[in-house]
Amino acid sequence: MTERKSPTAVLHEGPRALTDDQVREIEESDLAGVLNVDIDDVIEYVHKDLKSLPDFTTLYRKYLKQRWNVYDLDFTQDKIDWKEKMTEDERQSFMAIASGFHHGERQVEIELPVFMIGASEEEKIHIAAQIEDEARHTVFFDRFYREVVGFEGDDIMGILDASFPWVAETFVGPFGLLAYQADEVRQNPYDERARVRYGTNYFLWIEGVLALSVMKVTLSYARWRGFLPAYYTGFTATCRDESRHVQGGMRYLQDAVRKDPTMIKEIHDTLRTILMISGVNSRQIYYEPLGWTEDEVRMLFFLQLRRKLNDVGIDLSPDLEELLQQVQPVLAGG
Amino acid sequence: MAEPRFFSKEWADAVGDALTAGPSEQARGAKLQEYWDFFELIKSMYPASWALGCRDLPAGLGAGPAYLRVQWAGGVVTDCRIVGPDDPLEATYVLGMDYADWKALHEGYDAQRTVMYRKILLEDGDLLEFFTSIYFFVECLSVIAAVPADYPALARR
Repeated sequence: MTERKSPTAVLHEGPRALTDDQVREIEESDLAGVLNVDIDDVIEYVHKDLKSLPDFTTLYRKYLKQRWNVYDLDFTQDKIDWKEKMTEDERQSFMAIASGFHHGERQVEIELPVFMIGASEEEKIHIAAQIEDEARHTVFFDRFYREVVGFEGDDIMGILDASFPWVAETFVGPFGLLAYQADEVRQNPYDERARVRYGTNYFLWIEGVLALSVMKVTLSYARWRGFLPAYYTGFTATCRDESRHVQGGMRYLQDAVRKDPTMIKEIHDTLRTILMISGVNSRQIYYEPLGWTEDEVRMLFFLQLRRKLNDVGIDLSPDLEELLQQVQPVLAGG
Repeated sequence: MAEPRFFSKEWADAVGDALTAGPSEQARGAKLQEYWDFFELIKSMYPASWALGCRDLPAGLGAGPAYLRVQWAGGVVTDCRIVGPDDPLEATYVLGMDYADWKALHEGYDAQRTVMYRKILLEDGDLLEFFTSIYFFVECLSVIAAVPADYPALARR
């Protein structure tokens, strides 16, 4: 972790071009090497293949190379940083963000299996790998909360219970919707319209927009301050995993629309519901101790959404463009 | 005075009054005003009805499945009553939950997790439309859960 640029620098720099060496570093680093990878490069890497999306077999081959062992992480220094170096404000802001991930990883793990039923054989293999990734990410947060934050619990749910007070009431918007969409797919696993609505929420919004944006907030803070090396390593490796998930999800949506152009309506209808409930906050999250403002975080959301849509060739309807304008903050000085 | 039985007419009447009154001051104080402004906006124009089912209502409470039917109009509950298994069921959104989960909700289990963990499920109705007012629904679920009632410890999993 040698580079110490401001967490929000990428907002002002715009998209960056990755060199072949940077791509190789991201793709081939082992877990220890991930500590040296710049999180902004990994987020850029997610977009690298969106215009010519890899097939599911290629994504599975990458998974086999990039799979990491969550029990190889050593949180000893993180515990020191958390207890002795970080301020109470920094800890509270960090918890407010990380707890959404703690519960979010659990949700995307358990809601994914039903989507496999109606998938092609190659996609089934990719989804099986993704389920394993998400389970590993859930364990990553379980370890972080036990070993760094100091929560106690008899089992995984015990730790989830302990971090739940930091989860905002609006979490139920995308994640409750995902739970109900999974139930819809469970009842009709070959209903392609239900699958596209599910995929829009899961792969485009939750993974492509929410996850990648909020990951960046805590990771750029950790890199900027030189804190929490095991968290940075494990969560940056998680981000590399997410790049495969987002690329696979965008591949699915792109294929579905190419096969049946009327599927764009399902994507638009889903985004309409999500955007209608996305402009509301139930509690104040102070991003400033981590180097961000709320407007900058929301701007990051919408930059991520626009890039995904542009890269996979999905246009928004005029009413959605208007809705997006209403909920999208203006980034002062951006 | 004894508390009304869960899923009785008296309980349904109390639920209707509680929903019209809305969340307590204590609940409101814990969240941002902009969240409650959104809640009140939805409440003021919510035109839909819910049928909130108890799939396995114990025999002593009337036997299930039975539904609490809630009709909204003009920012108030205009009709709140129990609909039995043999009655016609008409509602914009039909949802179902097991008795044990109703009881847990009453005893303090979180309403957001009740939705997220699919303890209550949408059985009929437009899912995307339903979720445009999900914060309103979850807060109302908390209000319903807080209405005093006798939940006998009959049904255990």
